[in-house]
Amino acid sequence: MTFPKNSSGRDCTGAWDIMPWVLQNSATQEQGDWLKDHLSHCEACSTEFAQQSRLQRALALPVDISVDANAGLKRLLGRLDTADTQEGSFRTRRGNWLNRALVAAVLLQAVGIGTLGMKLWSTGDSPAYRTLSQESASVAPGAIRIVPDAAMTLASWNALLHNLRLQVVAGPNDVGAYTVAPTGSASTAHTLQQLRATQGIRLAEPVAVTP
Amino acid sequence: MNNADIDLDATDRMLLQRMSTGDRAALAVLYRSYHGRLCRFLSRLTRRSDVIEEVINDCFWIAWQKAGNFHGDSRVSTWLMGIAYRCGLKALRQHGDEPVEDDKLPEQRTAAHDLDDDRELRDWLAKGLEHLSVDQRAVIELVYGVGHSLDEVAVIMQCPVGTIKARLFHARVKLRNVLPALAGDSPKHKEKVP
Repeated sequence: MTFPKNSSGRDCTGAWDIMPWVLQNSATQEQGDWLKDHLSHCEACSTEFAQQSRLQRALALPVDISVDANAGLKRLLGRLDTADTQEGSFRTRRGNWLNRALVAAVLLQAVGIGTLGMKLWSTGDSPAYRTLSQESASVAPGAIRIVPDAAMTLASWNALLHNLRLQVVAGPNDVGAYTVAPTGSASTAHTLQQLRATQGIRLAEPVAVTP
Repeated sequence: MNNADIDLDATDRMLLQRMSTGDRAALAVLYRSYHGRLCRFLSRLTRRSDVIEEVINDCFWIAWQKAGNFHGDSRVSTWLMGIAYRCGLKALRQHGDEPVEDDKLPEQRTAAHDLDDDRELRDWLAKGLEHLSVDQRAVIELVYGVGHSLDEVAVIMQCPVGTIKARLFHARVKLRNVLPALAGDSPKHKEKVP
């Protein structure tokens, strides 16, 4: 890098620019030599360079403020310890919260399962369905299924049951059929015959022989 | 950067790498290694020793946290100085840049340790720096005191190189105008810049 020498103003500008770097020893040898040459015949720049050198010497003096490195380091390490402790505490608190949430979830699940079990238990004895292999409900011996006519009076119906010593044990069902059972020792066949001969009885059949 | 600087930077990088794994011994080595130059740099920003220690510890607190993120785009010294500078500015905003209580004034070592010439030189510098802004004092210290290049100062202060050049220029002009008078000479170049 060269600087013009035919203009003292531009020489001084160049000298001003490179002074800090020459003082730092970071300028090139060529720059250093050029500045040295310029200073030898420029009193103003020479004075400025001397002041810059003095500034650098002043800045290199020992620091006049006492700050204990060991004490500072001790405080810094203490600060790190505190931060670690707080972080650990935070983790612990977060862990406690998680455990409590898990326990609450398990309890809730247990209560739910218990409630469901109670509900199933309460309805378990009377299922709303019957399989074909299951036996039908027990039927009284000699039971007869009767479908009376809709026009039959209650008095006629009661009189018929009384004469034939029959008692209603079930019904009427969806089609209006009653199940009756004998209270005496009369034979079912005879009773059936009398029922079928009675006016107002549309159907009479033994329950036991129903397919 | 000469070979000695390269070796020092390699050592610093190794320490940072160990710090990133939680090695406190490495932190202690780096802390002691940089304590002096950070003290000197921060003493240009504030005269309060308690603030200086606080800033240094804030700086290394951040370095401890960010050690694993250092990618080596700059020297470790430049990286640390940049952190210290920003922490220093933050501390100045919180505390102000001058001592507020007499009992917190720094222990003056001039009377006990300095020769007369040094004491005079120190006073001369202190009075000159009083005329500069915080940023200008920082640039003067980084260039003349620490010996950083303009590019490195730009990294430290997170400014364009042109801004650093301007700060250095204005700081030098101010000092050129006040320092001769402080030394007993009349300023020969007042308001005149080459």
